[in-house]
Amino acid sequence: MKALILVGGFGTRLRPLTLSVPKPLVDFANKPMILHQIEALKAIGVTEVVLAINYQPEVMLNFLKDFEKKLGIKITCSQETEPLGTAGPLALARDKLIDDSGEPFFVLNSDVISEYPLKQMIEFHKSHGGEASIMVTKVDEPSKYGVVVMEESTGQVERFVEKPKLFVGNKINAGIYLLDPSVLDRIELRPTSIEKEVFPNIAAEKKLFAMVLPGFWMDIGQPKDYITGLRLYLDSLKKKSSPKLASGPHIIGNVLVDESAKIGEGCLIGPDVAIGPGCVVESGVRLSRCTVMRGVRIKKHSCISSSIIGWHSTVGQWARVENMTILGEDVHVGDEIYSNGGVVLPHKEIKSSILKPEIVM
Amino acid sequence: MESSEEKVVAVIIVGGPAEGTRFRPLSFNTPKPLFPLAGHPMVHHPISACKKIPNLAQIFLIGFYEGREFALYVSSISNELKVPVRYLKEDKPHGSAGSLYYFRDQIMEDSPSHIFLLNCDVCCNFPLPNMLDSHKRYGGMGTLLVIKVSPESANQFGELVADPITKELLHYTEKPETFVSDLINCGVYIFTPKIFSAIEDVSMHWEDRANVRVSNFALQMATRSLLPDFVRLDQDILSPLAGKKQLYTYETMDFWEQMKTPGISIKCSALYLAQFRVASPHLLAKGDGTKNATVVGDVYIHPSAKVHPTAKIGPNVSISANVRVAPGVRLINCIILDDVEIDENAVIMHAIVGWKSSIGKWSRVQADGDYNKKLGITILGEAVSVEDEVVVINSIVLPNKSLNVSVQEEIIL
Repeated sequence: MKALILVGGFGTRLRPLTLSVPKPLVDFANKPMILHQIEALKAIGVTEVVLAINYQPEVMLNFLKDFEKKLGIKITCSQETEPLGTAGPLALARDKLIDDSGEPFFVLNSDVISEYPLKQMIEFHKSHGGEASIMVTKVDEPSKYGVVVMEESTGQVERFVEKPKLFVGNKINAGIYLLDPSVLDRIELRPTSIEKEVFPNIAAEKKLFAMVLPGFWMDIGQPKDYITGLRLYLDSLKKKSSPKLASGPHIIGNVLVDESAKIGEGCLIGPDVAIGPGCVVESGVRLSRCTVMRGVRIKKHSCISSSIIGWHSTVGQWARVENMTILGEDVHVGDEIYSNGGVVLPHKEIKSSILKPEIVM
Repeated sequence: MESSEEKVVAVIIVGGPAEGTRFRPLSFNTPKPLFPLAGHPMVHHPISACKKIPNLAQIFLIGFYEGREFALYVSSISNELKVPVRYLKEDKPHGSAGSLYYFRDQIMEDSPSHIFLLNCDVCCNFPLPNMLDSHKRYGGMGTLLVIKVSPESANQFGELVADPITKELLHYTEKPETFVSDLINCGVYIFTPKIFSAIEDVSMHWEDRANVRVSNFALQMATRSLLPDFVRLDQDILSPLAGKKQLYTYETMDFWEQMKTPGISIKCSALYLAQFRVASPHLLAKGDGTKNATVVGDVYIHPSAKVHPTAKIGPNVSISANVRVAPGVRLINCIILDDVEIDENAVIMHAIVGWKSSIGKWSRVQADGDYNKKLGITILGEAVSVEDEVVVINSIVLPNKSLNVSVQEEIIL
């Protein structure tokens, strides 16, 4: 079985992290974002994943070589020379997605994390016999998104409404699709929107069905949602009683600590923290609601909350880092410094406090 | 009487990517020394000034940018100006004195009698031949180019005191908190080869002082090395030698700026354009709206750029290669980089527009033009697209962004 992951472009909303690596390789819960999806696909028997990309192909291709071997799944790239929207890339990758088996293929949006109940989706797709299935998720504020209006009992999709002003429903497109190969005949090789052009056509023929996604869903394409997404993800690990979660007297709530990370005495870690490979957390440190990426050193007595600390950065002694501070790669926050929402580009030293949210270039 | 075979070499310190964060977002894809001022890469200006030095044997560029970025540029400028230019790549930063010492063998290859040292990010008229004559008269080991600035701004630089008659350097201090002098160090120097032993002497003293504290003899021997890793020219070498009849000063009355931030590059570009008007007016654009666009003041337009005759350009505008300027566009005090497309009736003022960007119809990209403020010059990074009728004021936009709503006073990642 095959799958396409829409990787897209520059990931500017996740800057400064995406100034160092392309977005799908930014770590989330101690793993490159795209690996969460590739692993879910492998688990239900997908044998080939095509990445639809248009930026930094060399970096992606290097990454693929490592993971193809480790995961035992074929990973290829389909590179757009001009942006093709949300449906065009499927036409571009047509030859890679269709084989003689006539099986449907998955399409995933790379910014999304969720439970990935892909096996249930396959059964749902078979049972309704339509041409396309999409996952939808319930949200509190549907008017920020594209709402899918569907018939509750069968899941048949009636129409899509983009950012509705009046309430029409609370289910939005979760960015996970299972499509019959015939859908590719509806897509031309030009910039095309799957939500505005392709799906409405299929819905009009009553061949598009929606399944409500069980479990959590988050678009982690921007820092605020990334931090919320980590909470949801760790929460789902907890519900499954995953052994990956850390435990101990210095741990509160759901915390993920890579086995190569070191944590000192007298620390209090959690809730909702991920500490990556090779990190050193010195003694007396308080961490909550934050992500600490590979190779970071957090020095003694410091306190970090609601922030993301980029690869190989350091946070100085008695420093206080909070309120959506995002440190890019190789950023060094001096001792006793306070950062309130500083967004710091890679390779910088912070020698004076950042009192209110500010971008440091 | 000097021998007519006395050779001179010039060393230009270009720096490297790691320390160039202040030049963002323009330094993301292009090394700062290759950023164009008045239509020519920054480092082109000191190189062509070096060409006027009599008996110039070689120009060295020292930095730690990856070799290939510079290789193309170095061979083309070498051919164009018919002067030998070589790029010496450091493995890591050594400080300006450290770098000079590190490459002393190559620098002394032609046994030069004098060595010019210039910083690449200095913008001035480089009076190098006159400076060399004065240096020879003073008879010291080194001569610094100096300039008077306003007392309020002096403390951003190295302040120095010189004897008004002998011009000897009496005192030097870097970025002092209290006022010392309004005469500052321009970052352009001449040395005799004695500078290398001066660098050795000073660092030996460091070693000795450091070793006194280390009681273990074995440890002393183990840690003795020829030179500590990082030696700064001004603070570590020149400052201690002030007042010892070794160093002299040569004052320039002309313009001088240091290109620390992108905003200042517009000011420097304007200074070089004004210099072209005096020294090479054929490089500047002319036009009155009939066959060519109306040109006001000093303007440089690359030969491959296409500018519609109904556009009005200037003063102080540089337009790089393959730029397309549509009808009715107004450009004032700006730098337009390669491959930019500017659509009908757009207005750009006090801004730098990055490579391959596109500026929509009737849009406005502007700033208040205060070079000292962080957002005083609007900067669009590479491949930024400003849509029709959008207004961008006093903002910095990182590469690959598309602006479809107006913004003011913002940094857009």
